[in-house]
Amino acid sequence: MRATRPLALAAAGALALTACGGGDSVDTGGGGDGGGDNTLVAAVSAQPDQLDPHVTTAYASFQVLENVYDTLVVPDPEDLTMQPSLATEWETSEDDLEWRFTLRDGVTFHDGSEFDSADVVYSYNRIIDEELSNSFRFQNVESVEADGPETVVIRLTQPTPNLLERIGSFKGMAILPENAAEDLDLTTEANGTGPFQLESSDASSTVLTAYEDYWDGAPSVDGVEFRYITEPAAALTALQNGEVQWTDNVPPQQIESLGDDDSVELETTASVDYWYMSMNYARPPFDNRDVRRAISFAIDREEVAEAAWFGAAQANQTAIPEDSFFYYDYAPFERDPEQARQLLAQAGVTTPLTMGLMVTDEYPETVTAAQVIAGQLEEVGITVEIETLDFATWLDRQGEGDYDAFFLGWLGNLDPAAYYQEQHQTDGPNNYQGYSNPQVDQLLQQGATETEDEARKAIYDQAAQIIVDDVSYLYLYNPDVVQAWAPGLSGYQIRADKAINFENVELP
Amino acid sequence: MVVLAGVSVIVFGLVHLVPGDPVRLALGTRFSQDTYDALRERSGLDQPLVTQFFDWLGRALSGDLGVSFRSGDTVTSLIAERLPATLTLAFASILVALVIAVPLGTISALRPRSIIDRFATLISQFGISVPEFWMAIVLILVFAGTLGWLPSGGYVPLSEDPLGWLERLVMPAVVTGVVSGSVITRFVRSSVLEALGADHVRTARAKGLPERQVFTWHVLRNALLPLVTVTGVQLAYLLSGVVVVEIVFSWPGLGQLALQSVQARDYPVLQGAILLFAIVFLVINLVVDLLYTAIDPRIRR
Repeated sequence: MRATRPLALAAAGALALTACGGGDSVDTGGGGDGGGDNTLVAAVSAQPDQLDPHVTTAYASFQVLENVYDTLVVPDPEDLTMQPSLATEWETSEDDLEWRFTLRDGVTFHDGSEFDSADVVYSYNRIIDEELSNSFRFQNVESVEADGPETVVIRLTQPTPNLLERIGSFKGMAILPENAAEDLDLTTEANGTGPFQLESSDASSTVLTAYEDYWDGAPSVDGVEFRYITEPAAALTALQNGEVQWTDNVPPQQIESLGDDDSVELETTASVDYWYMSMNYARPPFDNRDVRRAISFAIDREEVAEAAWFGAAQANQTAIPEDSFFYYDYAPFERDPEQARQLLAQAGVTTPLTMGLMVTDEYPETVTAAQVIAGQLEEVGITVEIETLDFATWLDRQGEGDYDAFFLGWLGNLDPAAYYQEQHQTDGPNNYQGYSNPQVDQLLQQGATETEDEARKAIYDQAAQIIVDDVSYLYLYNPDVVQAWAPGLSGYQIRADKAINFENVELP
Repeated sequence: MVVLAGVSVIVFGLVHLVPGDPVRLALGTRFSQDTYDALRERSGLDQPLVTQFFDWLGRALSGDLGVSFRSGDTVTSLIAERLPATLTLAFASILVALVIAVPLGTISALRPRSIIDRFATLISQFGISVPEFWMAIVLILVFAGTLGWLPSGGYVPLSEDPLGWLERLVMPAVVTGVVSGSVITRFVRSSVLEALGADHVRTARAKGLPERQVFTWHVLRNALLPLVTVTGVQLAYLLSGVVVVEIVFSWPGLGQLALQSVQARDYPVLQGAILLFAIVFLVINLVVDLLYTAIDPRIRR
């Protein structure tokens, strides 16, 4: 853990990136001649499942789409606060129920057509009306309407302080041209306003070319080729022998040794993902708070993080990582087997107690971590039976409530509501464990509508404290984002939300 | 045709019996119930299984294998996209396998218990027992990493870049070829040995035919039958995709497609792929049978 932080700082200093708010990036021109030489080749671990930003939920797709589409607002690469993008400014009404967004002038889609408010209205209503995967992000939205070509008005049913996060945290909320779904086959074609346009996509790679008329200045490279290399050792070899210039598929066990390797530049940063264990409240004795607390006391999170990620993860007893504004420094569970045993005895549990722990090979590192957890719990008299399932079966069992405990993560969270609300509210859509605490419900409801940041943080701090004390989730760690590239590559910034943006990248 | 009809029923049944919900997988972890219901209806999964089967069968008979849940592409185009890579690798591997197996198996049969025989046994034992994954990684680290002679993986069509095509084909073909070759070597050895001991060979020798002619006309030709059979089986296996090798070498073949569609419970793609594999097996069996009659006149009767 200690080894990875200075690395991130050292290399980040070399980069100067402006947020998308303005500022002209250098136009290298070149008018699309040649092609091959000035193209960045990036090794990613999987093929995009499809390219419709409103439909896909796959990270592999968003790696590509990040560079093709824009949203009204975007997370700042440094601190992930929401910055202008296709919207230049916005204001809210007195009662916080109406948001007016002023749109950027002079933006064109890749086919040359002008961008205006009708495109925004079309895109958002497509998600809402067709009940696409991100429609839950508009649950407080009453209407999306144009007020002239340059203004979009969003009306809400209740104050929604995290509206910007809801519409801008990733390219799943991309703005498509009006009637795009009728004019194009969006699963394989794209027409965005982003820095690159889609050239081709097949079973080996997806190729993008620079969009010369991009509103924030044409990208520095002529194009980007995303090449799918699933095996991390092969991806690293390809980077070392110069076949690719960038990869996020680094073998975790090599992270430490690569720090001293001159042939690659490695960077890590804490991600906004968190991994946790959750116990089934419908299965005694896991409905007993003392039993859950005993298990929490029995676990050494540092050791689990080390086993899963070879040090490239930060142990955390709450969900939100240290770099976030909403981070809450709360760590009541130092490993204490003695206290764990006492709590188990107090709960009247006869040891050895057997607990099934459901993990999925979709995330192989969780299987390793589960073995470490099993070893730690063995010491306090709990026998863990690890069940390794494929993800489809895993999800089925989670949905049916057929488990004692499971191990999974939540990825790509930006707002505290995303971290806590759906998971811990009574009968929340992702409250599979069955947690219910009226005090937490009240706090989460308050937090969802409080518009002042400091006050919001205080509310979520309180909620987090109760959630951690009750062990609704047993939080374990935030893994680092780990990426490597060719020495001399510049203009690229590693980001905590794992968005991969090649707009300003320059080849060595 | 009867076999294919049976296969399609079994394929459809098995694929739907596997636990896992494609709609939940497609939506990831955050979605509303309305979204779930809408997608379920759109993909036809809300219909009774029997209705789904006859819908699928009706369309399959006219060559339409449906649309992937995952990508929205047609199943036929997804398979067609990956077919050239799979065909290339399968035939190149069989070539490598035969180049290894035929000489090695024959020589070790002609000199049983000699040094060469022991060496051949050792090699084929190695090829069968060493995991493909390990062999593939070692080749990448040595030839793409340390020596830098070959690209670490990928695929380019022959028509676009013949040299690049060949460079990328070498390592995966060697790995799968060594494995298949090891299996075939053993068959070659035992069938040559058997043919050598046959009565008609003794007769041929007794009537004073030169050893060379005895070998080509009486031994090899008889040893060819089992070789054709086992090569056919190996080819069918290679054509249905070699998942591990495809993944390690980023080879965009049918094995990867099948694996992805299992993971995503992408029923239409999975059904299409399995149906294709069944057809491949049937066709290869047919070809092997035809070859039999060409090689062995006795079977024609």
